[in-house]
Amino acid sequence: MTAAGTGTHTGTRTGRQLLVLVIGAAAVATLPFILPPAQEAVAVRILIFALMGVAWNVMSGYGGMFSFGHAAYFGLGAYAGGYLIVRHGVSPWIGMAVGAALAAAFGVTTGFLAFRYRLKGAYFALATFAFAEMLHLLALSFEPIEAAAGLNVPLLQGSSWWMLQFPPGSPNYFWAILALTVLAVAATIALLRSKSGGYVIAIREDEQAASSLGIPVMRYKLLTVGVSAAMTAVAGAFYVQYYLYINPDLAFGSAVSIQAILPSVIGGIGTIWGPLIGAAVLGPLSDVTATLLRDPPAALAFLEGRSGLDVILYAALLIVIVLALPKGVYGALRSYFARGST
Amino acid sequence: MRNLRLVGLLAALGVALAACGGSAPPGTTGQEGDQQGGTIKIGSIHPLTGPLAFDGQQMAKAGKFAAERINAQGGIKSLDGAKLQVLDADSKGEPEVGQSEAQRLIQEGAAALVGPYQSAVASNVAAVAERNRVPFLIDVAVADSILEQGYTNTFRIQPNASSMGTKGADYLAELAEASGTPIRSVAVLHEQTDFGKSVLAAFKARAEGSGMKVGPEISYDAVNVSDLTTEITQVKAEGVDALVVTGYYRDGVLAAKAISSVRPDVKVVFGIANGAFDLPQFTSDAGKAGEGFFDANYHFNARDPEMRKLAADFKAKYGEDIRTSSVLAYEAVRVIASGLEKAGTRDPQQLREAISGLSLDTLMAYPGPISFDKTGQNTSATPIVMQVQGGTVRQVFPKEFAEAEPRFPAPPAR
Amino acid sequence: MTRRAPLSLAARLAVAAAVVAVVLVLAYARSGSGIVVSQAVLTGLLLGGVYGLVAMGLTLIFGVLDIVNFAHGALMTVAMYGTVLLASHAGLDPYLTLLVTAPALFGIGMALQSGLINRTMGSSLANQLLLTLGIGLLIENVLLLSFGSEPRSVAVGYAAPLRAFGAVADLTRVIAFLGALGLAALLYLLLQRTRVGTAIRAVAANPDGAQLVGIDVRRMYVLTFALGTACAGAAGTLVAPFVTVEATTGELFNIIAFVVVVLGGMGNVVGALVGGLLIGLTEQLGGVLLPEQSPLLAVFVVFVLVLFLRPQGLFGRSS
Repeated sequence: MTAAGTGTHTGTRTGRQLLVLVIGAAAVATLPFILPPAQEAVAVRILIFALMGVAWNVMSGYGGMFSFGHAAYFGLGAYAGGYLIVRHGVSPWIGMAVGAALAAAFGVTTGFLAFRYRLKGAYFALATFAFAEMLHLLALSFEPIEAAAGLNVPLLQGSSWWMLQFPPGSPNYFWAILALTVLAVAATIALLRSKSGGYVIAIREDEQAASSLGIPVMRYKLLTVGVSAAMTAVAGAFYVQYYLYINPDLAFGSAVSIQAILPSVIGGIGTIWGPLIGAAVLGPLSDVTATLLRDPPAALAFLEGRSGLDVILYAALLIVIVLALPKGVYGALRSYFARGST
Repeated sequence: MRNLRLVGLLAALGVALAACGGSAPPGTTGQEGDQQGGTIKIGSIHPLTGPLAFDGQQMAKAGKFAAERINAQGGIKSLDGAKLQVLDADSKGEPEVGQSEAQRLIQEGAAALVGPYQSAVASNVAAVAERNRVPFLIDVAVADSILEQGYTNTFRIQPNASSMGTKGADYLAELAEASGTPIRSVAVLHEQTDFGKSVLAAFKARAEGSGMKVGPEISYDAVNVSDLTTEITQVKAEGVDALVVTGYYRDGVLAAKAISSVRPDVKVVFGIANGAFDLPQFTSDAGKAGEGFFDANYHFNARDPEMRKLAADFKAKYGEDIRTSSVLAYEAVRVIASGLEKAGTRDPQQLREAISGLSLDTLMAYPGPISFDKTGQNTSATPIVMQVQGGTVRQVFPKEFAEAEPRFPAPPAR
Repeated sequence: MTRRAPLSLAARLAVAAAVVAVVLVLAYARSGSGIVVSQAVLTGLLLGGVYGLVAMGLTLIFGVLDIVNFAHGALMTVAMYGTVLLASHAGLDPYLTLLVTAPALFGIGMALQSGLINRTMGSSLANQLLLTLGIGLLIENVLLLSFGSEPRSVAVGYAAPLRAFGAVADLTRVIAFLGALGLAALLYLLLQRTRVGTAIRAVAANPDGAQLVGIDVRRMYVLTFALGTACAGAAGTLVAPFVTVEATTGELFNIIAFVVVVLGGMGNVVGALVGGLLIGLTEQLGGVLLPEQSPLLAVFVVFVLVLFLRPQGLFGRSS
């Protein structure tokens, strides 16, 4: 674990981080003017990925509660948003809020049970996984909203910020998810630098000590879970709006939970910038390997008509990154520069 | 250890740089085709890796094969012999990837899209096609809902789930009637997602309308199931006349094995849109257990000489027996080619117009040529009935497509 | 810990028996057929044996190395392909191929642990999870690349259904079940009665202490991981005759195997077998009781209850 939030020079550090965030966001916001539209679809996918990573990092990086079930929150957000717009024509922004509330409620309830029974580490992770999987199975057979068949978001004519729908290739999608991600990062920074954030870190480092100092451990753990769940649900609701379709596997499948874990681990667990860097590295990785190997070089011509090589390359790079950078890309960069400056 | 760390950092940074630099060739590719002749690009999206790679890979080959054959016969004549070029994309079975690959293909100048084998990916790609106003030909994807969104750029060559359920009930009743073996009660074993449920609902409505009693309805999880013995025992305990099975390949083989060891006293095992019972490898994987099984499913027309030639040529080139899903991918490329021929331009919207007014003879066992209704559904798409006879899948019903007489009743082999 | 005094073994067994009796009565009431219930029980036990078989190697690795090994299913698939190739090309009896697949997988396990995973020992749960996920993905796609996507199957000439109490069972499944029992016994003896086994248990209980008394902890890690993958190899060969072999086949067992590992208690080989049987029965009887729901739903409900009430597993000692 990295020593985030030591509490000294808090004010300047918060200001600096927010400044970096704003400048970085402004720079990234110009991407639609540079990238061709097809790359923009990849960029949106990466930002959804990043938002999930930021959310996971709050609970599992800073909170120290390893979740393997973020699909539950993502799916609740996606289905809440999808259901409201498809069946009732409600704006996705409202759907997002409803989904976030639902997911937070679900996270707090299941979290309460898990903490009440003192689950930790791998056991806690497996419990979160089981809850997500139960929602997945229930969605497959839940008749009232015809969840199993999936939800198709109807196409509008023209574009509307209120209904979050734009013509294809419109950079507005990109800006919308960028804004949501930046807000999530800003919220994380704000949380960390608040008194509550100090408690959250203290609980992660030593729960018993925190408890004996009079910190209401349960309340702050549930707060962390709730915030993380709500952010993840926002990603889910945006997902439906962008891809216009959701079904039980896409919403609650275990692949979604893995997606939420990846950016932080690759970028750096328990760091502000880690999930963003992780998503930026990993998000396009499979596209890059697929592009590289789409027309294989002559040396690999015998592989013509077979597939799997791009995924092999992807998996190999994943292994190398995990082995070589146990603290993630950001963690490694930071310790490299820390060593250089002293 | 430090060296390794450096390697990792470089790998990560390299990837990030590649991402920023744009992983696809810069957007120059769209224009070059507009001079006379040249090439016309068709985007083909299928699952080339992951659990569905078996079918996805052959479908990709079949699409390419269609283009090769059309090119060998002079390409698109109304466009001065322009050649077709099929661009492959791997959906990995994931809708997100399907969507960004569809975007990429359109960006690279694809005049039309073909794919994608899964309904979830189809829903996604259909939305992309609609918003970019590029025609999208669904070869395989069964969910009714894909074409219920009011899209005008999406066309489907195969029948949808509910029409297969309805037609399956008709065929079962007709076969029973013709052979004088009454089928009064039917148990249904189906996989539990939308596909199995829609087929079941349509089948049930029609079968009950014609006086059959439907039940029990037993569902299972096709992804995880590893034994269906208890489910088949439930069927046996119920003492029904027929067992209807809807599902995919792996679970279909499991069902056959369970049926052969439990031996329920049914007169027929009748697959509807079953992903196993009408495939050549089913007869070897299930062995004698599958003998006599029926399947009401869309299928290529094995009696059509052109189809037989295609199968032989395909086998000669790739060493594989072509399957129905791949014939559909082949047909999808043919539809696009005829659309281009008719439109005389590569403009996607005029191509769309041409496709929607098309009437094209088909290699599929459909009662008429391919032509699309307002929603984009091929009006001639219908299932036919196959039966495993002597270790081979034969077309048995309706008569115009029959290679052999149906053997009805056909109680499970002992 | 403010836990109630643990129930005695007899009391626990009595509770378990009562639960089973109630479930059986309910299942009978629901299906109205004794044969369906006895078939569900038989299938549940046989299937449970398979789950236990898959989980044994996993629980060994989980218990000793504290690694959640997501590559386990993929390693199992490697053995399945080994069996398919040896049976179809060399004409070996599928069960004889065990003599090749288990040692081969032992070797692969050694290589993986000493080459890759040993480097991450002691790092975070997340890192190890991603590492094994990556390895699993790598293996799966190497298999896809080498053997293509066509499903394969293994034919066993003498397969015939066996009958008892109106229920039936495939011979191949019965053999897999017996294999599970045999493997559990073998592992139990190895762990309890040999010097190596004692060393492994010492490492599991307290790696630092084991180091102090002169045990080469890293070597024990390598050995344990290799043993675990050899078990995956045995499981792959034993299930190959009744599954359709594809690059992703083993992955299907991964999730259930994790559930079984927790039920049985980490590192407890016999517990894995019993946990497997319990899950098999839950799945089958749950399917009879709630035909509209996925049978896995019942499995996860049981899983969460066990996590809450006995996080050390049904048979583990509370730590």
